Amino acid sequence: MADNRDTPGARPGIDSYPVEFTGTGGEYFRVWIVNVLLSVVTLGFYTPFARRRTAQYFYGHTLVADSPLEFTAQQRKMVIGFVLLVALYAAFKLASQTGQDTVASLMLLGGAVLAPYFWGSAMRFRFNATRWRGVRLQFTAGWGEVYRASWPLFLLALAWVASFLLAAALVPADLSPAARAAAQGPILVGTSLAALAVTVWCLMRLEYNYKSLMVLRGRIGGQPGRWKPVFGDFVRIWLATVGVFLLTLAVVAAVIAAALGGSFAMLPRLRGAGLLAILFVVAMVLGTMLLLFLASAPARAYREARIFQLVWNNIGASQVARFRCTLQARRYVGLRIRNLLLTLATLGFWRPFAVVSEYRMKTESVTLHVKGGLDQLAGQLAREEQGLGDAIADAVGLGLVG
Amino acid sequence: MAAVLPGAWFDGRSSRARAVQVRLERAAGGPLLVLQAADGGPVPPPLRQREIDLPEAWSARRPPRKVVVDLRAHGSLEIEDVAGWQAALRQAGHSAPLAQRMQTRWSAFLLVFVLAAAALLAFYRWGTPWAATQLTRHVPLQWELGLSQRVLADMDASWLHPSKLPAERRAELRARFDALAAQAAPALRRYPGYAPPLVLQFRSGMPPNAFALPGGTIVMTDALVQEAARHGLPDDALVGVLAHEIGHVMHRHTTRMVVEQGVLNIGLGLALGDVSALVSTGASLLTGLAYRRSHETEADCFAAALMRQAGVPAAPMADLLLGLEARPRGDPAAARSAPAWMDLLSSHPDTAERARGLKEGQAERCV
Repeated sequence: MADNRDTPGARPGIDSYPVEFTGTGGEYFRVWIVNVLLSVVTLGFYTPFARRRTAQYFYGHTLVADSPLEFTAQQRKMVIGFVLLVALYAAFKLASQTGQDTVASLMLLGGAVLAPYFWGSAMRFRFNATRWRGVRLQFTAGWGEVYRASWPLFLLALAWVASFLLAAALVPADLSPAARAAAQGPILVGTSLAALAVTVWCLMRLEYNYKSLMVLRGRIGGQPGRWKPVFGDFVRIWLATVGVFLLTLAVVAAVIAAALGGSFAMLPRLRGAGLLAILFVVAMVLGTMLLLFLASAPARAYREARIFQLVWNNIGASQVARFRCTLQARRYVGLRIRNLLLTLATLGFWRPFAVVSEYRMKTESVTLHVKGGLDQLAGQLAREEQGLGDAIADAVGLGLVG
Repeated sequence: MAAVLPGAWFDGRSSRARAVQVRLERAAGGPLLVLQAADGGPVPPPLRQREIDLPEAWSARRPPRKVVVDLRAHGSLEIEDVAGWQAALRQAGHSAPLAQRMQTRWSAFLLVFVLAAAALLAFYRWGTPWAATQLTRHVPLQWELGLSQRVLADMDASWLHPSKLPAERRAELRARFDALAAQAAPALRRYPGYAPPLVLQFRSGMPPNAFALPGGTIVMTDALVQEAARHGLPDDALVGVLAHEIGHVMHRHTTRMVVEQGVLNIGLGLALGDVSALVSTGASLLTGLAYRRSHETEADCFAAALMRQAGVPAAPMADLLLGLEARPRGDPAAARSAPAWMDLLSSHPDTAERARGLKEGQAERCV
């Protein structure tokens, strides 16, 4: 596999290994459909087993330097984590639906305070369950570090509380109730917009903090991770994403305007057929909503691709290994749009093919460069992590694969 | 003699591979994995199946480039000859788990699929309604009354108006209603201890209709009374409709529907949510409509039995139903010629069918 060894320009003593993915959409479709069927039969309790199978399919077909990755989480721990999560969720639902608002809001508050802890334990679980050539990844950040890195999360919550308090305080107290309500509207909009701006900035910072912590406190075989991106890189990508979104929006608006122009011309003729006209308007509203959903997809794919590229071009493991990434944002956006349309057209049955094609494009864009051979990593026998972190990460939508 | 395969063993402490000879031996409780180092160095002891994690076979035709056996604390074992490994597993008496059999053989998948579909259909056809009936026993009448009060207040505030019928006409119909309610013998009831206060209310502002709120309030619109008069039907027709609504109350259909829809949304959401929200919501909607149709049939049966007991003829009610059905389109034939699949999207059973059932005394549809 070390095919760059003799190519001109390659530095001596450094071997290059492109990451390979050997899975296929058809095979993963069967993995997925079996998972769906068994989940149906077990009323959802197959989920932890399904997650393990999915992870093992993707890991087992991802070859780094000709050795597959291994997903080694113990099934028993994943099941325990899942059951705990279901019990917590059921308790919360029960409390909120039977009117025990104090208990429900305490649980919600507890969940918010514990969010960084959940993220940290999800990362520990996931790193620990990943093995390559017998050596486990490790996530060594302490809880203090995780909470310090989570400050944007708390700033974000604070911004929203402040915006509502401010809105209440800014309305003059000596107005009549109707005038108060009228004055409150614009002020609330203003403070909410300010809070929204803070939110976006906080999310940017949180993503940067978490990603850098993952790499800097991640270890493989005793080698700590190396992290080069700075926060400004992330800000530039987010700004470019906003640009992509506005551009797509403009295109979509043009399409809608063209479609609407045609249909407004038709409306007078439709006036006689009342029901038909209503159906037509409903169809148009639904179409517009769908288009708006589609319009945000390219921007989301663009951000994902750019961040992936930035991260995998700028990380490594101490002085031993570094990565290079050749992912093209434009191709990735094109792939995402195609997948989205096919998923819609097949009522969701294209999803496994979509997941595989996107995963393939991302993983195969990465090349590993190693100095001094693959045999120098020293593993540590780490304790197995609890599975609750993984179940929670799953519940809040942190994808296992990708 | 078991086949010997070459493998690369990683001990978990270093990323250096060691060449090993891999053998799988037949043993109680699954294959026994035996390693032997090519250079005679230390290797893990023979490991039983429950001490390791075997990689799943994903396809019957296309083996992956390599498989890795998880030896847990003893590291991991890479094997390049995947076909040889799978043959050795079979020879050593390894029985594949269900998921793997479904994964690699369409016949196994289809078998489970058919069984699951049958179980699911049975569950939704009989299981959910049964569970809802049982759960409803524990819902207090007070909850239903509170709900009805709120709903009726909301409707009165938005589009219902006070009745414009003469007071004596309302009194006349109420007297018939009370006489009918008194006839609802315990034998007719699904919930023996359930005795809601039956009250008839009149409202205007809606097309011809009558509906039952949980807990015993039944609302009849002025338009329905006028519609019966327009067709020259006796009050027995309206009494029949009221009997049907009393059926809804006595069978606690609203409460059961709330429970059933809850079970459906959660069950189908869990089961089909992974495909897409559209499929899961669609399935939940269609099944919910099927339950509503069965409730209508149940209420019709109750009405027929109650009318028989009270000596009220059922034919006028059937005529009223047919008259209502023909009303918006002005052509009863058009209403009856809708394609059969449209029934799936309907909240009520076919009207012509219902009318015929009522006239014939419901013999076939009621148990």
